[in-house]
Amino acid sequence: MAQESRGGGRRPLMQMAAIAVVASALGVALGLLIEWFPSQASTQASTIDTLYNVLIITSVPIFVLVTAVIGFCVWRFRVRPGEEDEDGPPIHGNTRLEIVWTAVPAIMLVALCTYAFLALQDIEEAQADEQRIQVIAQQYAWSFEYPNPMGGDPIRSEELYLVEDEPVLFDITALDVIHSFWVPAFRMKRDAVPGLTTQLRVTPNRLGTYPVVCAELCGLGHAFMRQNANVLTRQDFDAWMAEQVKAAGGGGAPAGEEEGGEAAAPESAG
Amino acid sequence: MTMKLRAPGWYRAVLYVGLGVLFSLALITVARLGYGLDPVVDGRSWLLVSLLAVPLFFLGGLGAFDTWFHWAAGRPTRPDDHSQHGATSWRSYFAINTDHKVIGIQYVVTSFSFMFIGGAVAMLMRAELAQPGSQLVDGQTFNGLFSVHAALLIFLFIIPVFAGLANYVLPLMIGAPDMAFPRLNALSYWMLPVAGVMMLASFLVGPFASGWTAYAPLSTTQPVGQMFFTIGVQFAGASSIATALNFLVTIITMRAPGMSFFRMPLLVWANFSTSLLVVIATPFIAASQFFVLLDYALGFNFFQAGANGDVLMYQHVFWFYSHPAVYIMMLPGFGIVSEIIAVKSRKPIFGYRMMAFSLLAIVVLGFTVWAHHMFTSGMQDWIRIPMMVTTAIIAVPTGIKIFSWLATLWRGVLHVDTPMLFALGFLTMFTLGGISGVALAMLPFVIHVSDSYFIVAHLHYVLFGGSLFTVYAGVYYWFPKMTGRMYDETLGRLHFWVTFVAFNITFAPMHIVGVQGMPRRVSDYAEQFANWNLIISLASFVLGLSTLVFVYNMVSSWVGGPRAPANPWRALTLEWQVSSPPPIFNFDAVPTVVGGPYEYGVPGAVHGVFKDGGAEVAPPKPTTPSVAQ
Amino acid sequence: MEAAGALAHDHDHDDAGHHHGPPPANRSSRVDPQMLGMLLFIISEVMVFGAFFTAYFFIRVVQGAEWPAAGTELPVAIAGVNTAILLSSSLTLHWALVSIKNEDRNGFRAGILLTTLLGATFLFVQINEYVHVGFAPQDHAQGTIFYGLTGLHGAHVAIGLLLLLSVTIRAFRGHYSAKEHAGVEIPGIYWHFVDVMWIVVYATIYIL
Repeated sequence: MAQESRGGGRRPLMQMAAIAVVASALGVALGLLIEWFPSQASTQASTIDTLYNVLIITSVPIFVLVTAVIGFCVWRFRVRPGEEDEDGPPIHGNTRLEIVWTAVPAIMLVALCTYAFLALQDIEEAQADEQRIQVIAQQYAWSFEYPNPMGGDPIRSEELYLVEDEPVLFDITALDVIHSFWVPAFRMKRDAVPGLTTQLRVTPNRLGTYPVVCAELCGLGHAFMRQNANVLTRQDFDAWMAEQVKAAGGGGAPAGEEEGGEAAAPESAG
Repeated sequence: MTMKLRAPGWYRAVLYVGLGVLFSLALITVARLGYGLDPVVDGRSWLLVSLLAVPLFFLGGLGAFDTWFHWAAGRPTRPDDHSQHGATSWRSYFAINTDHKVIGIQYVVTSFSFMFIGGAVAMLMRAELAQPGSQLVDGQTFNGLFSVHAALLIFLFIIPVFAGLANYVLPLMIGAPDMAFPRLNALSYWMLPVAGVMMLASFLVGPFASGWTAYAPLSTTQPVGQMFFTIGVQFAGASSIATALNFLVTIITMRAPGMSFFRMPLLVWANFSTSLLVVIATPFIAASQFFVLLDYALGFNFFQAGANGDVLMYQHVFWFYSHPAVYIMMLPGFGIVSEIIAVKSRKPIFGYRMMAFSLLAIVVLGFTVWAHHMFTSGMQDWIRIPMMVTTAIIAVPTGIKIFSWLATLWRGVLHVDTPMLFALGFLTMFTLGGISGVALAMLPFVIHVSDSYFIVAHLHYVLFGGSLFTVYAGVYYWFPKMTGRMYDETLGRLHFWVTFVAFNITFAPMHIVGVQGMPRRVSDYAEQFANWNLIISLASFVLGLSTLVFVYNMVSSWVGGPRAPANPWRALTLEWQVSSPPPIFNFDAVPTVVGGPYEYGVPGAVHGVFKDGGAEVAPPKPTTPSVAQ
Repeated sequence: MEAAGALAHDHDHDDAGHHHGPPPANRSSRVDPQMLGMLLFIISEVMVFGAFFTAYFFIRVVQGAEWPAAGTELPVAIAGVNTAILLSSSLTLHWALVSIKNEDRNGFRAGILLTTLLGATFLFVQINEYVHVGFAPQDHAQGTIFYGLTGLHGAHVAIGLLLLLSVTIRAFRGHYSAKEHAGVEIPGIYWHFVDVMWIVVYATIYIL
């Protein structure tokens, strides 16, 4: 039979399996070689990056398998001269095979979900001694509010300053429309919703300056709603904070005097 | 002239449009007097009421409601003379026509026109994005460009083009002379250009710019252009619901004798499932846009946080439609691909019943995953976990379909021509889109990439590599049936390969820039993404040009291609058993179905039996009283 | 509205010996196409209400807004009477349908006319309630969803009334018979749906 010579027997299956294994290995290697991520600057980042690598290792072979089967079929089973009026074998199905390709992906997916759930618990776990920072989003700027170490009005900053290795809990709000607070280097994001306070936990673990972006369309200035997140050492942060406190005028006596003097000047002139 | 103005048609439509504008003015004036306000009307409310009322007047003028008004006025019913059925010249395509074949072509041509506009808009966006910084357009205009791009391609291309293809072939496939409600079918079609023109007209006042998702409260605080979307969607949605209802009734009540549900071609199954989704889900987007309209125009408080309104409610209601809508945009494509792969592999579909059941499984599961669009929205945290699981599980029925198609290819006799190339291209690209979809179910990862370019990549792999490839496959496959001409195979293959390569170069890098931290919907981006974006933009222009090959092929083949035989693909399904193009009422007598639709390779197998004379095979006339008075 | 009209009437008259028409379609289901169309249309209508109830749920339960809003009162008793009016219109409609099935034209006409009048009364009382209820949709989200749900329902009553009005006109012009009453039955189903929906709206808005 022509059918036998075209595709019967086990040989094409073996060929196919060999191609699929080699191609999958290449595909996974390629997937892992691509430089996907920006720098890792939080403990959350490494958990998420590992999850992504696991996803690549599990899913690339599936894509490669599908592509390889298609390529193989086109090469091996393509109509040849003289076969124009022939039909393939009337195979209507195979119950065992169908059960396999229902059950195996289902088990894989449940396993992945379990893993993802554990990873989620890990990255969202509450930490001891979290610093609380208010994130206020409005069209088209961020502002960050820190509790004032001297008491009084909170310290407000346009840039975000964080301390290396110290966990932070952000309380995020929006004044007008929905925004989304995203620091790609931390891998974490949460929408800022008018009327709601949403929360996000991050433990920065790498010094440096990273972009803060708005990820939810918020109007004509959406693309430009960017800011910097600075991860500092405790020392640098304290120095910065002291400066802010000074500038806000709520702190030490000398600062108050200086400002008072400046303020008095116009009065005396008048 | 008076005659022309009185008879249904374009003259009367124009007249009625004028009347509609005046009617809107009168309505607001009366309402303002009723409320004791100064009757002088501001332009904005006049515009809003006109947007709602004028399309109805237009449709009335065109003649979409004539028969029903006739009935409502209590006049005696007159027998249908079928004067509005079938195409006699090109003019028939610009009038109310009740022939599903005419309507199908109207749908396909109209929706492709909107696709070209939507694609051109995308070119403009990519031109702006080729370099960081602002070059061509300002922020608001850019937001308008991608909003119009998405709205047109979703509501006026993918959803209706599938409705159009199915409109043409579905009644033929099940052995029906037409759809169940031909006049409703005509109305469904004519609401589409209304919606599309309205969305495009927003450019006259400044386009709507809050994305196709139109999240409140951004959408309720936008300039008036937003309302062209809000109201346009109502018409597109109404069209969609009416068509789905029509398909369901047609499939349930008008199948040929012998065509049990498990003898239906999978395209019919696919449209059955899709129509269920449309009928159940589409009202939610209609409602969500009504909320926006009421908040915007009348100062209601659905989404005003300060007055107990709930901002996240918009997203729940919106995605309760718009996630099933993803399957509305994909399941008919599954149907098309099933037809093509079986015919071009010369083998029965592997696991036909599982293919049908997996469609129904997707319909059911499709309603349980909406909140995965809201994983970072700030909704209650616990909702995320069940949504993650259902989102992952919905990949199982989809996987069944992909593996079954592969098994159908295995050991077949593959005719790798243009429709088959697009079907196979779809298989690979959709698998990739499906896999990134599973990755997007995984919560920790999606917290990072949601609203990034990774999403843009994913959705284009699903909607372009997925849906659009199946649309191309379907258009090439049924082109001989619809036009009676063969398309140019060489140009078809050229079109496929250019599209396939340019598509991948355009959208694959978006995965990488997304994970690296580039948010979506931005007109400007950080310097680090510049190289990739330049590559993406260049490839996207090639992708845009590739559609010109398609247009040239379609137009020149339609005008002067070689005549097509009735059944150029040696297919078994009923639409290929009649002439190309089919006779005006599809069949002289309704065929009898005696076997499955894909019995390729089974010696002597047939799907439908035709007998001349008709009377002997025609089933007994239904006993149901069918005259509605 | 258009769809409803279509369902009630969309039908090809295939007279015997009619040669330029289509071949008669096979009837593959015992369900009447127009009836099925109306049922599917009602499913999608139920979903429209579902979306509005979702909004209600989010405002009242998720947001925990006080219900009714502080300082406002809902006229539960008057609305209850109005409920009775609307429900009795379902009974009169049923009476009309039974009458025409028995070829009792006078009963049919009286029943359909009474149904229309009861429906109109309901709508009138509802509008009257809007005038006197004492808050506006612009005041707070509770007002928004009150007007949203009752207004949506009122719009459906209005559409149903237009259908009933057409049926009434046709009834008085001598249409319909014991054999041909689909044009009464199918708009009738829509009217029953509108009534049942009101019970749900009344229960959630006024009583709960």
